[in-house]
Amino acid sequence: MIKTRFLYNDNAFCGFLLKGHADSGEYGYDIVCAAVSVLAINTVNSLEQLALVKPQVISDEKNGGFLKVNVNLDQANDSPVQLLLNSFELGMRSIADNYQDYITIEDE
Amino acid sequence: MLMNLQFFSKHKGGGSTSNGRDSKAKRLGAKRADGQTVTCGSILYRQRGTHIYPGMNVKIGGDDTLFATTAGVVKFERKGRDKKKVSVYPTAE
Repeated sequence: MIKTRFLYNDNAFCGFLLKGHADSGEYGYDIVCAAVSVLAINTVNSLEQLALVKPQVISDEKNGGFLKVNVNLDQANDSPVQLLLNSFELGMRSIADNYQDYITIEDE
Repeated sequence: MLMNLQFFSKHKGGGSTSNGRDSKAKRLGAKRADGQTVTCGSILYRQRGTHIYPGMNVKIGGDDTLFATTAGVVKFERKGRDKKKVSVYPTAE
């Protein structure tokens, strides 16, 4: 089960926290894991390369299953940043709606 | 960040198991039925150890195979309280 939390700072959406493993299939065939991985990692890369901000990224590269992304408050309100973070949230909620056994969203 | 599509998948690396081997089936068990007529030397029962013991006119081979030492009719019988034996009774000529 992947636990998802969207992080806010002074009411500004500034990041997200993902914990856990999807466990929806064998390693290499876990489609939910792949969907969440590409969504989250692409959001991080887009923030850096498209929105040109430097988010703080904490991840467990060795075991996977943990990713915390946080954008500084002064950059959080930039429209590209908000667009990317809201796009990430939209994607995660869509996956969660269809794969409730593997993803939970904890609203702050 | 590296695009690892298995980032949220549990078994990283998917270690291989040490299982997955098996020996060939040895087709053990009865080779002649009770009441069947057999010739001398016929194999009656393939086994590992003595599930069934040799009886009248039956001998046991090195691999515990039971075989007839005379022509006749096969009989599976009890041996004591909880054992079995197989015998071959010559048919009246």
